[in-house]
Amino acid sequence: MDRRLFLQLVGAGGFAATSIGCPKFFARAKRVPEPPVGPGVPTTCELCPNKCSVLATVRRGRIHKLNPNPENPKSRNMLCARGNAAIQQVYDPDRLKQPMIRVGARGEGKWKAATWDEAFDFAAKKLAETKAKHGPEGTLWSSTEGFQEVFFKNLGLAFGSPNILRHPSLCLASVNLAYSMTFGTVPSFDLQNAKYVIMAGANRFESIITPDTMDLIGGVMERKAKFVYLDPRFTVTASKADEWYPIKPGTDMAFILAMIHVIIREDRCDKAFLDQWTLGFDQLVEHVKPYTPEFAEAETGIPAREITRIAREFADAGHRAVFYAGRRSSWYQNDFQMRRAQAILNTIVGNWDREGGMVPNRKVAKGEFMFLPWDDPKAPRVDEVEKNFPLTSAKDGVYLQTRENVLKGAPYPVKAWMIYKQDPLNAVPDQGKTLRMMEAMDFIGVVDIAMSDTAWYADVVFPESHYLERTDPIEVMPGIWPAAVLRQQVIKPIHDTLPMLEIAQGLARRLGLSEYFDYTIDQWIEAEAKELPVENGLEYMKKHGVVAFSEPKYGTTRNAAYRFVTKSGKIEIFSERLAEAGHDPLPVYAPPAQPPAGRFRMILGRKATITHAALAGLPWLHEQIPENDLWINQDQASRMGIRTGDLVEVTSTAGTVRIKARATEEIRPDCVFMLHGFGKKSPWLKRVYNVGAADAVLLETAWDKVSGNAAMHETFVNVVKV
Amino acid sequence: MANPKRYAMVLDSRKCIDCKACVVACKAENDVPPGVFRNRINAEHGGAFPRLRASFDPEQCHHCDNPSCVRVCPTGASFQREDGIVQVREADCIGCKYCMIACPYDARFFNEETRVVDKCTFCAHRVDRGELPACVETCPSKVRTFGDLTDPRSALHALLESRRYRVLKPQTGNGPQLYYLL
Repeated sequence: MDRRLFLQLVGAGGFAATSIGCPKFFARAKRVPEPPVGPGVPTTCELCPNKCSVLATVRRGRIHKLNPNPENPKSRNMLCARGNAAIQQVYDPDRLKQPMIRVGARGEGKWKAATWDEAFDFAAKKLAETKAKHGPEGTLWSSTEGFQEVFFKNLGLAFGSPNILRHPSLCLASVNLAYSMTFGTVPSFDLQNAKYVIMAGANRFESIITPDTMDLIGGVMERKAKFVYLDPRFTVTASKADEWYPIKPGTDMAFILAMIHVIIREDRCDKAFLDQWTLGFDQLVEHVKPYTPEFAEAETGIPAREITRIAREFADAGHRAVFYAGRRSSWYQNDFQMRRAQAILNTIVGNWDREGGMVPNRKVAKGEFMFLPWDDPKAPRVDEVEKNFPLTSAKDGVYLQTRENVLKGAPYPVKAWMIYKQDPLNAVPDQGKTLRMMEAMDFIGVVDIAMSDTAWYADVVFPESHYLERTDPIEVMPGIWPAAVLRQQVIKPIHDTLPMLEIAQGLARRLGLSEYFDYTIDQWIEAEAKELPVENGLEYMKKHGVVAFSEPKYGTTRNAAYRFVTKSGKIEIFSERLAEAGHDPLPVYAPPAQPPAGRFRMILGRKATITHAALAGLPWLHEQIPENDLWINQDQASRMGIRTGDLVEVTSTAGTVRIKARATEEIRPDCVFMLHGFGKKSPWLKRVYNVGAADAVLLETAWDKVSGNAAMHETFVNVVKV
Repeated sequence: MANPKRYAMVLDSRKCIDCKACVVACKAENDVPPGVFRNRINAEHGGAFPRLRASFDPEQCHHCDNPSCVRVCPTGASFQREDGIVQVREADCIGCKYCMIACPYDARFFNEETRVVDKCTFCAHRVDRGELPACVETCPSKVRTFGDLTDPRSALHALLESRRYRVLKPQTGNGPQLYYLL
């Protein structure tokens, strides 16, 4: 008998007998024939900052599969595990389904479901009260990178707040500033064509960045480019490198300066390039004299003869050699200067704007939607960026300084906090301090797709539609392979959620700011699409999802008329601007503080299935890494009587966590490591609630002196077996 | 009539970064329940600090030429298509799991949701539409090359002509069709 027919005959009453008999007859009804699927709706992934192009196939109204869109040369026709798992965010039963207003104490977990009108009225009332009492500067608007971030930011600006706080000071502000100060722009690295690549800490095979990760694989595996990797941990990247050095943490700059020393001493620089395009090489020659390979050996633990050899090989590869910048957050309080040293090392081999070297980014042209401008805020920023970090981007602000000043109530009180697409409790070091900052607020509103830890402590939570449920502004992605991408709605929202633009409009209406948000997303993208370099831009984008140039262009800035966007118009090896701002004009090495006996330096890193705190709980990713653990060197562990799986207590001056230990050979004896994204406080994040531990609890408050970027490797911890 | 196709996969494991994109893409494509997998990445770590090594080998059903799973299946549910793809006809599977034991590669599992034995199908439904298996398409580092062994113009053919390779457990006589480049 046909099984399906049998099941139909058995019908609803037939299942009482399932525990006995032949399993075949009582098997669950099989998958019904699948309807055909088309190529899919082109859209753009949102699970990390890469913005890979995606084709979303829909079957019976449900998103079935996300496939890579081969038209985007930057995402190289791939979609990683995170991107594939995005479907589970949409259909997660624990997703935020309607606005929520807190009814119990903060963090107590008592919520009432609200209508959008109630939520908007409530938040607008609170924001207006704060404005009446403390002025618009009494509000803080923080967000992380995203295509609709512009609407959130604009709402804060239109409201009159100077306190628009973006994510770079938790991410790559120090890198961006160091390269900008040197070249007037932040270049990309042409790993597809490089012959010699050095990466320090940038664990590119576990923290996937497009197209760098794929190009590095191609370079190392197919063209046999040489790949040198420095990291206190033995990562997947280390396993693929030609040479891995477990460098002593915080000493990268000594290694780089010694390379510069060798290249200059042995006359291996690209002199013609230096003469024509750079400023301050003579000062550099004097500056690096003390930074011998022997000096660097004592600092880094890497033998002087290896440093000398690597420097020679690097210089020999010339303009096809790159010391890769890396990104993520800064690590140490001198991170900016370490990145400057990298930029200078790259400069002296003349790899600027050359195939296989550092290439200034190109952009795809895009139109702009013109909206009504608002008045500039009258008050200064609460983080006093201009005073504390005059060189860093004032429009992005500095997170840790903001928190310090808000807690002090200086220079003025900030009492309301709006948060978009961000989980400061997990993203910012010292969770306890962030919680105190939240407690100091009269009002907290969070826009998110899930009940993050931060949302859990908020007063009102606005559920945003998932990226697969909304259309976003067109985003330009600068690079060697520049692209413009559209995030296009694939399915209608399945719950009572709204995109950020409509949330901004709902609040704006009640705050008397409607005139600044008098447009639809369609009008916005239509204006943007008008100037795309294709005919019928909008239709093209809806059909393809991406417009891109697939041929890199090299050497556009290597013409006599070109002026770098620096004070001198040249590449600034020696920076007068830095000197004027009271910083070292050339990178000066200072050894990092060392953990006292019995303590360890805590280091951070990523895994390819988890980058941001929000991803650890997605079922397909969670089953790969169900819990984080504390990596501790095998020798240290056995000395301390700790075995893999033992519960340990980890303590810093910021906090204490309990976590399982992993005794491993794959980390230096002076460090410990844990993955990000676990030990959540929000019970609505079921799979990771109280599972493992959160790194943010332990991390102490420390920042890079020049950029203000959070320094994530300055925390020493004590580890004891429980 | 043209010669039948013979589908196979070539894997360049050195390029594998253990990112699990293939594993998750497979789960999404084939509705594989939690806790079980149609494909996996075998990781091997060794050495002592600081002389360490690690390697990653993706693995799934080998779609053998002479598949022991097909030979032992009492109902004919496990069968091989003309193009070499080994499949389980769900309507005929009685869940006896004999094939799971017979498979030398541990490539099969019992699907509690469908109550039948489940495994990689090379995404035959996609291949029949002229598409690539989900794991092949999604792979960031392009470890996998899928194609028709009998087609001398295929990329897969070119790789096997120009590179040295191995198969896993050739001694079983199953004739596995996952080729690992050396």
